[in-house]
Amino acid sequence: MAEISLREVSFRHGKGTPYEICALDKITLDIAPGVITGIIGHTGSGKSTLVELFNGILKPAEGRVLIDGEDIWAKPKEIRKVRFRVGLVMQYPESQLFEETIRQDIAFGPKNMGLSDKEIERRVVEAARFVGLDEELLEKSPFDLSGGQKRRAAIAGIIAMRPDVLVLDEPAAGLDPVGRESIFANIVEYKEKTGSTVVIVSHSMEDMARYCDRVVVMSGGKMIMNGSRDEVFSQSASLEGAGLDIPQITKLMTLLRDRGIDVDQSIYTSEKAYEEIMKLFAKKG
Amino acid sequence: MDLPFIKVENVSYSYRGEGDAAIRVIKELSLEIDEGEFVAVLGHNGSGKSTLAKLLNMILTPASGKIFIEGKDITDENMSEEEIFALRKNVGMVFQNPDNQLVATIVEDDVAFGPENLGVPSQEIRRRVDEALSKVGMTEYAHHEPHRLSGGQKQRVAIAGIMAMLPKCIIFDESTAMLDPIGRREVMSAIKKLNSEMGITVIMITHYMDEAAMANRVVVLDDGRIALDGTPSEVFEKEELLRSMGLDVPQCTALVHRLRRAGIALEGECTDPEKCADLIATALGKELGNG
Repeated sequence: MAEISLREVSFRHGKGTPYEICALDKITLDIAPGVITGIIGHTGSGKSTLVELFNGILKPAEGRVLIDGEDIWAKPKEIRKVRFRVGLVMQYPESQLFEETIRQDIAFGPKNMGLSDKEIERRVVEAARFVGLDEELLEKSPFDLSGGQKRRAAIAGIIAMRPDVLVLDEPAAGLDPVGRESIFANIVEYKEKTGSTVVIVSHSMEDMARYCDRVVVMSGGKMIMNGSRDEVFSQSASLEGAGLDIPQITKLMTLLRDRGIDVDQSIYTSEKAYEEIMKLFAKKG
Repeated sequence: MDLPFIKVENVSYSYRGEGDAAIRVIKELSLEIDEGEFVAVLGHNGSGKSTLAKLLNMILTPASGKIFIEGKDITDENMSEEEIFALRKNVGMVFQNPDNQLVATIVEDDVAFGPENLGVPSQEIRRRVDEALSKVGMTEYAHHEPHRLSGGQKQRVAIAGIMAMLPKCIIFDESTAMLDPIGRREVMSAIKKLNSEMGITVIMITHYMDEAAMANRVVVLDDGRIALDGTPSEVFEKEELLRSMGLDVPQCTALVHRLRRAGIALEGECTDPEKCADLIATALGKELGNG
C-alpha cells in the first residue's frame, strides 16, 4: 500500500514555445491507499498528464509529487525505481507488445528489475492469472491473440512488477460489454487480493460509478471535484458542466423530476433507482 | 421485382489461422438493406461485424455466396478494375481510429482528396467540400491542420471526406469507440443528419447500446450469423438473449424490464431515458407535458 500525493503541481506542454499550454494548474491531491480511485474528465482535461506525473514519466514544472511522503524527484537519477513502484498501463497498451511470446513480454518488466529466473517465472504465471489469461496462451505470439487477450497480456506485464500502485489509462476502451466487465472484475479482484492502490482513468461514467470508491474530476487542467463516489455522482449538474456524460440512471431521475415525480436526485445506480421507483408504485397502491 | 439496395446472399468468409486452418467468421449469412435505412450492427468482439463491413466495401471477397449492391453482383470475379472502382465509391467507410484516416495537411484538402481521385472537376470539388464540411459542422476549421483537431473533429473531417465522394451508403466501423462523450455526441449527430437529411444509407457498427438505440433497425451478429434483426425496441426486449451473446441493453431499458418483471405495468418503448421516464410517469398517473 502506498500513497501518492501531489502538492501544488503544475505542468506545461511545449514549454518555452509559442504553443505552450498549461495542462495542469496547481493540483493538490492525495490518492487514498488501498482503494480504487477513478479520474474522469473529457479529452484535454489533463487526466492523462496527471497520471504520467505519478510515476515520473513527466516532471512537474512546479510543485512536488510525493510517494509515501517522499519527493520522487529528490534524486532524479533514481526515478526508474519509482516506475517499478507505480505501474502505468497506458491507453491501448496492446500496441506496445513486442516480444516473440506473451510469456517473454510479461517477463520484460520483472527482468529489468533484476529478479531471478525463478521469481520471474512465478510472477509471470501469477500476473497472467490475475488478468484472466490462460496459461496455454503464454507460449503464443502476440499476433495470435485477440484484441482483448492482448490488452490483458499488456496489463499483466505491469502487474508482474508488483507495483504498489497500479494506474490504468482507459483499460476497457474499445472492448465489448462483456470484455469491459471482465477486465474491471479482474482489476477489482487484484485490488482485493493484493491490497494495492489502484487508479483508473476513464470517461465512461457508468464504469466509474460501478467500480471506483473515490472519484476525481478534472476539467481544463484543474481539479474540480474530489470525493467519494456518492459525493461526486450526486452532483450531476457540475458533471455535465465539465462536459461529461452523466450516467443514464441519473438522467432518468432528472427526467422524472421534470415530469413532476419526486425522486431522489442523487441516485446513479440501477439498484437504487429500482428501489426508489418501486416505493413510488407501492405508495400509489 | 425491386431489388433491395444491398442484398447479401448466403455469404461465408474465413480467415487463415494457425497452421493454415481456416477460421470461419461469417457463416452463410443473408441480409437485405433498403436505401435510406439506418442500421446498427451489434455483436461482441469476434462476432464478424467488421468482416461483414469489409465484405460490403469490397475490401474482402466472400469465400462463397454473393453480394449485390443496387442489383449489381459485387462478388463477380470477372469485373474490370473500372467497374470495381465505380462500385466501391458507392459505399464509403469510416474507421475507428481518428488518427489513421486523414492524409492532407489542411482540413479542406483532406476532404477534397476523395473527389480529386475520382476525377471530379475542380469547381464541383469546391462545392462538394464546402457542403460536406457544413453538414458535419466543420466549416470554420476548413483551413486548420487536421492533427491539431480533437478526436471528434477528426472523425467529422473523415466523414466529410467520404461524403464529398457522394456515396449512397456509408459504413461506420466503431467510429466513436476512441472518442470522449463530447466527440461521440458530435459524430452521432453528424451521422443522424446525413441519414435523415441527405438520405444516405447508414450501416453503423458499434459497441454502444445507446448509439444503437438511435438507429431505425438493429442487426445482432453472433458467431458469424444473424441472431436478431428488428427495431431497437424489438431487439432490446430480448435482454437475456443479448446478455448470453456478450451484449447488454441500455441501463434505463434494463431498469424498465426489471420493473415489468416485478409486476409494474409499463407499456411502450423504453430504448432511451426520455421514453423510460414517460412510461414511468404515465404509469404513476402523471399528466405528461405539464412539468
